[in-house]
Amino acid sequence: MAGAQPPLISIRHVSRRYYRAADEVHALEDVSLDIAAGRFVALMGPSGSGKSTLLNIISGIDRADEGEIEVAGQVLNGLSEDELAQWRARHIGLIFQFFNLIPVLSARDNVALPLLLTKLSKAERSERAEIALRVVGLAHRSTHSPRTLSGGEQQRVAIARALVTDPDLIVADEPTGDLDARNAEEILGLLRELKNTFGKTVVMVTHDPRALRFVDDAYHLDKGLLLEGHEAERATEAIRLAAGGASVFAVTPP
Amino acid sequence: MKYLGLILANLGRNKLRTSLTSVAIMLAVLLVCVLLTMPAGMDFLIENITSNTRISVHNKAGIVYSMPHAFTRKVRLVDGVEAAMAQTWYGGAYEEKGVVTFPNFAVEAEQARAVYPDYNIAPQQLADFERYRDGAIVGRQTMLRYGWKIGDRISLKSTVWPVDLDFRIVGEIPNDRAPMLWFNRTYLDEALKSIGRPGLGITGMIWVRASAPEKVNTIMRTIDEMSRNSEAETACETEKSFFSNFLGSLQGLVTIILLVTGLVALCIVFIAANTASMAVRERAGEIATLKAIGFSRRSIFGMLIVEVVTLSALAGGAGVLLATGITQALRRFAGWSDSLGPLAGFIITPEVIAGGMVLSLAVGVLAGFLPAYGAARKPVVEALREVF
Repeated sequence: MAGAQPPLISIRHVSRRYYRAADEVHALEDVSLDIAAGRFVALMGPSGSGKSTLLNIISGIDRADEGEIEVAGQVLNGLSEDELAQWRARHIGLIFQFFNLIPVLSARDNVALPLLLTKLSKAERSERAEIALRVVGLAHRSTHSPRTLSGGEQQRVAIARALVTDPDLIVADEPTGDLDARNAEEILGLLRELKNTFGKTVVMVTHDPRALRFVDDAYHLDKGLLLEGHEAERATEAIRLAAGGASVFAVTPP
Repeated sequence: MKYLGLILANLGRNKLRTSLTSVAIMLAVLLVCVLLTMPAGMDFLIENITSNTRISVHNKAGIVYSMPHAFTRKVRLVDGVEAAMAQTWYGGAYEEKGVVTFPNFAVEAEQARAVYPDYNIAPQQLADFERYRDGAIVGRQTMLRYGWKIGDRISLKSTVWPVDLDFRIVGEIPNDRAPMLWFNRTYLDEALKSIGRPGLGITGMIWVRASAPEKVNTIMRTIDEMSRNSEAETACETEKSFFSNFLGSLQGLVTIILLVTGLVALCIVFIAANTASMAVRERAGEIATLKAIGFSRRSIFGMLIVEVVTLSALAGGAGVLLATGITQALRRFAGWSDSLGPLAGFIITPEVIAGGMVLSLAVGVLAGFLPAYGAARKPVVEALREVF
């Protein structure tokens, strides 16, 4: 996979617990995982399995209670909120299920938002946003408001926003969750393209069984545990079957 | 500066709400500015028309009681007195309405120049005042109010004396806040004698100008000492003290005005804070997204607070402008209608403008602080979990 190169993401014995009312929820339990640079990776599992929590910890949005997390050469554990924000701005591109575009800004201005945190001039920011929109095939819609764009187009704008700072890592939380089948495949293809053409590392949380056709690796989580060996193979097989027609929810690993 | 586009876009997001909040802030600042003109006007009046070398000499029993006019000559002889001018209330009503709408006094015309050099009345006008027995000098406020100009002839019907007098306006006291009319006391004296009265042997007030501020206290003591045990004992006051006491009777009203002003300001802070809270709550998802993509807590706080402050400053600025326009208009209308007379005193001073702008900014900062702080402080993962 990564050869002699150090992994871009190194997760060591990470646990995360939080409280829901009086109950302690073990979102992640002793998870260890390496992801090499330039891979397109899916984190899969049923709802509540901890995959979004793991993605949030990888992207520096959430913190691990235990264990160590290193991404792009930076150990995240000791960073303050503001240091993490600064680090995310430089190294992470984020894609959300519901696109999370700012409705009062044009597509181009939405894409240029992360560039406000750089020292680039307004003209440079606009130029880079245009380039990012061109990459996702939406250059002709740059002045449009998000409200006038379809769901698939809005997600492409969100991908352009994630790409515009040229981050080391792109993380996507259910990027096809709010899209129809055709748009979902287009978005998965586009994410694959980012990996193939620009060498980006993409880590994606998804329920979508079609994702297996696009990703290099799929990791499965269940009840906060990372499945390995036979269990992981069974989970992958179940999802492949689901992709053939059955519902993914009906074949979650035991 | 680079966040300005985002801030302005957010301000334009809900145009109806932004407009309604702006109008509320604008009207509140307008009201506060208009209310503040009253105490500010009184302070301005006292500061601008009073001198630290002028002394008021009046009957110890009260200003409605008179003193013998001959006492004025004695006052002039007191060491340190540069000039003294007797002043007697005429109580003239304009346009036969029987209501005195501006103060008017019979004065010693030849003393006006020496007692009121700070009024900056044109020398030629003062010369005409001394020359013409029926000459009158009028404060600019009253000139503007009635649209009078120098050379006009007017008649006043006295509510105190049994003679009505016609005057020619020969000069103006060039001060927007000066309402009084002065005319030559000889004119009143002769008019009284012409109807068989003994003439004007009394004076209501004597205005004294000291040669130096440090002589004022000695002069006041000397004059009061001179009148002791006479029929009309005097009470001397500095001009500032006299006007402060005179206007002091309105202090209770001013306190109420300031209280109302404070309550209005507080109300508008709550209204704006409520609007800001709603705006932040509606945009919780967007704020969470901004934080997730790397905006720091400080920049989120800064953008939100600048947004509220921009709105309140623009709306408040419009309120200040409107207040200035309205008070200017009132001054003009006051010249057309006597019932609006007192409103001519509502003048927006630079201090009131500054107060209005400070209030506008304070409304923005106070109203925006808690919502912005709350939004900025919330951990990004918690914010994302709450809205998605």
